[in-house]
Amino acid sequence: MLAASYTQAAALPAPRGFSFHTMKHIVYLSRAVHPLSDQDLQELLDQCRRDNIQHHVTGILLYSHGNIAQLFEAEPEVADALFERIARDGRHSHVQKLIDRPISARSFAQWSMAFHPLEPAGFEALEGFLLPHRVPAPPTSLSIADATLVELVCLAVFGPDTSAPYAQALPGAAQ
Amino acid sequence: MREQHLQDILRRLPAGVATLEGEELRYTFINEAMAGLLGPADATGQPVAVHAGPWPADLLDVMQQVYRTGKAYVAKACQLQTGAAGPIYCDVALEPVLDDNRISGLLLFAVDVTVQEQARQRTHELAIETRRLDARLRVLTETAPQITFTVDGAGRYEYVSPQWYLFTGQPPTCDLNAIWPLLIHPDDRLRVLYQSEAARKAGVGWSYEYRLRRYDGHYRWMLSRALPELHAPGQPVYWHGALTEVHDQRELSEARRRGEAELRFLADSIPELIWTATPEGFVEYYNRFTEDYSGLSTDELGPTGWINLLHPSEQAAAGRQWVHCIATGEPYENVFRMRRHDGRYRWHIIRARQLTDEQGPRWFGACTDVDDQHRLRQVLQTQYDELAQANRDLDTFVYTASHDLKQPVLNLRGLFDELRQGATFADPQAEQMLGMLDEALTQLDLTLQELAATVRDQRGLSAPAEELDVRNVAEEVLLGLRAQVQETEAVVELDAEAAPTLVYGRANLRSVLHNLVSNALKFVHPDRPPHVRVRSYLSAAGQPVLEVRDNGSGMVLPSQPAPVFQPFARQHPHIGGSGVGLYLVQRIITSRGGHLEVSSEVGEGTAFTVYWQERGLNGHA
Repeated sequence: MLAASYTQAAALPAPRGFSFHTMKHIVYLSRAVHPLSDQDLQELLDQCRRDNIQHHVTGILLYSHGNIAQLFEAEPEVADALFERIARDGRHSHVQKLIDRPISARSFAQWSMAFHPLEPAGFEALEGFLLPHRVPAPPTSLSIADATLVELVCLAVFGPDTSAPYAQALPGAAQ
Repeated sequence: MREQHLQDILRRLPAGVATLEGEELRYTFINEAMAGLLGPADATGQPVAVHAGPWPADLLDVMQQVYRTGKAYVAKACQLQTGAAGPIYCDVALEPVLDDNRISGLLLFAVDVTVQEQARQRTHELAIETRRLDARLRVLTETAPQITFTVDGAGRYEYVSPQWYLFTGQPPTCDLNAIWPLLIHPDDRLRVLYQSEAARKAGVGWSYEYRLRRYDGHYRWMLSRALPELHAPGQPVYWHGALTEVHDQRELSEARRRGEAELRFLADSIPELIWTATPEGFVEYYNRFTEDYSGLSTDELGPTGWINLLHPSEQAAAGRQWVHCIATGEPYENVFRMRRHDGRYRWHIIRARQLTDEQGPRWFGACTDVDDQHRLRQVLQTQYDELAQANRDLDTFVYTASHDLKQPVLNLRGLFDELRQGATFADPQAEQMLGMLDEALTQLDLTLQELAATVRDQRGLSAPAEELDVRNVAEEVLLGLRAQVQETEAVVELDAEAAPTLVYGRANLRSVLHNLVSNALKFVHPDRPPHVRVRSYLSAAGQPVLEVRDNGSGMVLPSQPAPVFQPFARQHPHIGGSGVGLYLVQRIITSRGGHLEVSSEVGEGTAFTVYWQERGLNGHA
């Protein structure tokens, strides 16, 4: 289902001023100040999804045991403003920006969040939610260096235990 | 009327008023406030000793004394025993009443001072608590390793804890304000004085480091921190602060900074690509040579940017391996082509290892340029392969030619003998000529035999049989073929469990294995990596058998197996080869009394079965 949504990325309705050369993506890692409860996570998911749809931000946020990582794509002004807001957010600290680069096109069709809820039952059906082991392989439109970065970020957030699916995630390994 | 008015005023007075008369001190008048103190029962007419009410026993004694002596007395804050919840305190005034210069009774005034008394008692408790806190503060400030101090708005030291005297070695009688600036290191003095004055003027705290002279004359780095004590109008009056010795930490961090700078300088001076990465695998430092080599800055390279430098066909595998190493902590090592700033790719060995110490794990990596060696090795390998092939072909050719020329020579000799017996020659020199011809034929035959023997010896075809470990020999052969195995990503299975040893010529076994396995690696199916199974086992008759089975492209077998093994007959014209391999294998096997069988299916694979010995198997000739 997600593989399909990646391919739709190109068909995304073009937001105002959208051009393939005026996009950027930012990746950061951080630590939550307090462990986030299921309710916190759901509120975060709802809030971010609403804001991100409005501002045409796409990407993915990963959370596990206080580790946070996010990759998001947007127009440069939007992305910079968003990062500035994120960096000031008191709910997390140790914000470490890993990458901040112009990109020629989006790699994610939407914005979604992956984490381990204590009570997964209610979450499965939520729009934009993923269980960590369901996180898809990095889209092939990313460069291999960026895809490796996403793999490492997943590893840093979820630890090596759930890393099994990523071993096949990089292009070329699947066969 | 006036009397009545006075009585009313007395009755409503907020203080308690009562009169006591006679030696027994009987209540004659009690106003409302006093009645409240004495309790519900009406005490009028009763002696005070009988209706003592709230009065404590010693007060009753005092009443008697006042009555006797006529000297007024005021009992301050006398605690009354009423039934009320809390204690009630009253100032009780006892005035003798004179009647004709004789004491006839007492006037009793009781003013409630409970609130004042409680306040006084609380003040007292607070004073005790303050003294306790003060003592605690003193103990704490005087036992803490820091020097504590208090400075007023003018910069004069109001207080300094005894540690200061211990540290500086100054006598307790010294003039603190005069001596302190002199103990500051001359290089720091002006700065410290300026900074503290600026902070005092601005009404803010400070935090700075300076060197202070210790009792032994050594200057030690101190951290001075102070905060203003704010008073109601907002005007700070005192600064309280502490001095902490930070000399060792400072030296240590200085040493670390120096060490890091030196290491960085070292790393930047080495003409190799050096980098370090976080435990999560993000590269945080590339040395200067990396930037020179790639033509990209650390920022441009980014945390995983080194992958961008690799040849596109190698990037995915490199990334995968790196993620795997980060997950497991295994060292990273591989050979890759890396792009130089001018776009040329050069071969590099990339190695990275994880260092785990008290600072947590970090990764250290280096990329060593092995391009020249790599290219040289490739050239040498190619040349070696070509030479070895040419050598083999030449041997085979000579061997085959000598073998195949034997028959015509034999025929020639037959014909010649026929000719000599049947024909007559007129030429007198004929006999001599015939002798020479005979000699030449013998010479030719001998030469051919020697030639064949030479090649045979050289190839070890006639080497003595010995007991061989099939697995060992096969592994040696595979070692020689490792380039092909790697190139085709072949999986080669060795199974010699059933028949681990074989009595045979070493070179022969090697030659057979080499030809069969290299064939299997050569004729691969285009859609899958080759999977070669080499099996040594015993046939039903107990004879050793070798099977080499592949999953390659297969071939159409002619009606009888023989043509497969003709020299220069090639089954796959599109694949390079001289076409003598199988011919040679067959020759070796048959020369030692065995035979070779083949089964094949196009698109599925081929299996060669070598029956080493024929003894006891009459069905095969």
